[in-house]
Amino acid sequence: MSEQVCRECHRIINGQTCPICGSSNLSADWSGMVIIIDPERSEIAKKIDVKVPDRYALKVR
Amino acid sequence: MGVIMTAESAIFVVKTTANQERSVANMITQSARKEHLDIRAILAPDELKGYVLIEAAAPEEVEQAIQTVPHARALVKGQSSIEEISHFLTPKPTVTGISEGAIIEITSGPFKGEKARVKRVDEGHEEITVELFDAVVPIPITIRGDTVRVLRKDEEKNA
Repeated sequence: MSEQVCRECHRIINGQTCPICGSSNLSADWSGMVIIIDPERSEIAKKIDVKVPDRYALKVR
Repeated sequence: MGVIMTAESAIFVVKTTANQERSVANMITQSARKEHLDIRAILAPDELKGYVLIEAAAPEEVEQAIQTVPHARALVKGQSSIEEISHFLTPKPTVTGISEGAIIEITSGPFKGEKARVKRVDEGHEEITVELFDAVVPIPITIRGDTVRVLRKDEEKNA
């Protein structure tokens, strides 16, 4: 699996650069996956301060 | 759909095949989007093997979402609250609980199975520096904090 995580915004992405923040500061060493589908009504999204639906990593090294 | 539902969300637990937590989470997302189910978030913490946590308004939505998903085995009866699972959202550093002077066993890498004493703990990088017991000359080696198991907390206190 070549899934990497952007160190800036914690998004799980496929590719060499983060499509949202444009950063190429990626890490393959991450743990814990959160998928936010409905950020408006999700309590989890509020807790981790996420406003865009996407896949995120809880922890990035 | 169409009606804006303001029902409070709850956490439901789905049992999965071990090591398939992430693929189950991805497939539940697809199925929720396709069938327009009121599923708000999905959480697959590494600490929780064989389960995924789903934030939704009602158990029926979750039940429907997992119908077509392979490796999603069953919806666990009952529900949980956000407060109960919030500790998964703020992972603590892996070096927490490791103190200087502690005796540890290395659980992976070239020194797997070796016992060592902790010389230094680097919380920022989540690394620890140890000295192996079996080495003739004491050489400090730096390893990741999650590849060790603590055998004894603090040598000096027990001596």
